[in-house]
Amino acid sequence: MSAVLQLKHVAKSYGDLRALDGIELSLPDNAYISLLGPSGSGKTTLLRVIAGFEEPDNGSIFFGGRRIDGMAPHKRGIGFVFQNFALFPHLSVAGNIAFGLENREDEPVSDQRVVARKVRDIVALVGLSGLEDRAVTQISGGQRQRVALARTLVTEPKMVLLDEPLGALDANLRSRMRSELKAIRERCGVTFLHVTGSEAEALAMGDTVLVLDRGRIAQSADSDTLYNRPASPAVARFLNCYNLFSGDVVDEAFVCQAGRFAVGGARLRAREPAYAIRYDRVAIRAKDAPVSPEEIRIEGNFVASEYSGAAVNSFFTLDDGRVFEVESHLSHAAPETYSAQARYALVWKREDALVYA
Amino acid sequence: MTMAISEENVVETTAVARRPSGKTLWLLAPGVLWMVLFLVVPILMMVYVSFWTQTTFKIEPTLTVKSWVTFFTSDTYLGALWTTVRIWLLVLAATLVVGYPAALFVGLFVKNKTLSTVLLVLCVIPFWTSFLIRVLAWRPMLGKEGAINMILMKLGIVTQPIEVLLFSELSVIIGMTQIYCVFMVGPIAFMLGRIDPSVIEAAQDLGAGFWRIFRTIILPLSMPGVVVGAIFVSVMVLGEFATSAALSGRKVNLLGNIIVTQVGSLKWAFAAVAGVVLTILMGAVVAALLRVVDLRKEL
Repeated sequence: MSAVLQLKHVAKSYGDLRALDGIELSLPDNAYISLLGPSGSGKTTLLRVIAGFEEPDNGSIFFGGRRIDGMAPHKRGIGFVFQNFALFPHLSVAGNIAFGLENREDEPVSDQRVVARKVRDIVALVGLSGLEDRAVTQISGGQRQRVALARTLVTEPKMVLLDEPLGALDANLRSRMRSELKAIRERCGVTFLHVTGSEAEALAMGDTVLVLDRGRIAQSADSDTLYNRPASPAVARFLNCYNLFSGDVVDEAFVCQAGRFAVGGARLRAREPAYAIRYDRVAIRAKDAPVSPEEIRIEGNFVASEYSGAAVNSFFTLDDGRVFEVESHLSHAAPETYSAQARYALVWKREDALVYA
Repeated sequence: MTMAISEENVVETTAVARRPSGKTLWLLAPGVLWMVLFLVVPILMMVYVSFWTQTTFKIEPTLTVKSWVTFFTSDTYLGALWTTVRIWLLVLAATLVVGYPAALFVGLFVKNKTLSTVLLVLCVIPFWTSFLIRVLAWRPMLGKEGAINMILMKLGIVTQPIEVLLFSELSVIIGMTQIYCVFMVGPIAFMLGRIDPSVIEAAQDLGAGFWRIFRTIILPLSMPGVVVGAIFVSVMVLGEFATSAALSGRKVNLLGNIIVTQVGSLKWAFAAVAGVVLTILMGAVVAALLRVVDLRKEL
């Protein structure tokens, strides 16, 4: 897999706000990449800079070996699928899809038979057959999503950028479109760069997941690595599956407000020291239950729990007022009932924790 | 209206669900009453009077088609009809040519919504002056010794003052274009402002150049605005008489001027004929414009 897109030290500011702060990035060919970031992390800006709707203040962008920053959007060979789809409201499904072929400045297709054939092929690829003559205002959200994708794919881009493509769909449709998008990408063999604010979506879809934090790439890894070894406390926080403590490492122990945790698990380098333990690696026990020397124990007051079918998430408040979350998988045991405001021991194994120092 | 009351009493006991809609219909009562008294009845009267018998000094309610025959055989009246249509088309074209680019700028290229609102309000500022003053203000501008001729002569561009500027068809068109242009700009700018900027970016991303995007995306999406603007301008220009009276030196006679003259000399039947013709013309123009775009989709 060769790098198809490379960003070198790309920066972009809006006034005092540094939306992109020196992005270094290299994306492989023929892959599904998800770009995960909290709102305001600069993910839409990054996408718009790659697409050419915004120019970077600094740095360079290479695509397929050519330098593309400063080039008009349509000369870059990169397709863009807008968050709200941005379909042409006055054109039919077929009219929308044919737009690029018929109206582009470089080599427009004037032969209507060629246009019709290409539109037919792409309509079949995205699964819209039979809807060609419908107005785009008369089709469902999922179908509009497919039209937006088909409209870009028909121009044969070498890469497609998708700006929160599933954000406008309801939850049910969203999970169906996930697998659909992956299948469509495999059929046409181009790189998809999919921007999302949902960690579940990013992990489920990406062959590679990029995490953007405050204008920088915080981590670039496959889903499994990202989930189990987040590169920084910020990434761990954003994954929404880690309890985080800030403090300091003193004599092989992590000292924080909640207590003193003996260090035994993985240690990762980070600017700010932090201690992270996954929600689902914590056991809830009675206050007086015994603890083995390998285990770390803190105490908390039970607040409430949230049932989600396969798991139940319980919330505790620690003595310093912080909320501590525990995820218990129901395949392991029937859900226990805890009494509100009662005190419990929260226990985890030393080596399950991640220590950033 | 009495019908509505008795019906209300009947349904009250049977259909509870219908009561709110029956009550809300009352909201229409003042408007309907107003329109019936001051629009529908006068129009019916106008049609009726157009068939009355007109003699030099009086009018009698004996039905005849004489006034209609006179209207359609007279060069004066047919000429006025033709002038009305000609001026209307020229002013419509002029307001579109002047107004569309302005609307394009305000509605699409000014990204700041506050600024575009301010610009639209600026367009309305001339309305702070009364209509007649605005029309008459063209006289010192366009006259033989008016501002334009003075400047052109000072600059040496012309040696003789251009006389065609005032008291001609041209001055009527200039005056009307200035007065009615804003009615074209407003609706178009509104429609253009509603275009999602990402739709235009999508077209750029797909490789279309500016003129292509204008022709295939911007223009079709702004058509409802153009049609609404054209309806405003058409209805107002077709019924005009003051601008042509003030700026044409009685050389340009529109149907509106004919009506004013006939009413002035108490020729009610002729005035009614001209009125009916004008009403039919306006109705036809509005109907034709509404066929261009399906406005129902825009509401």
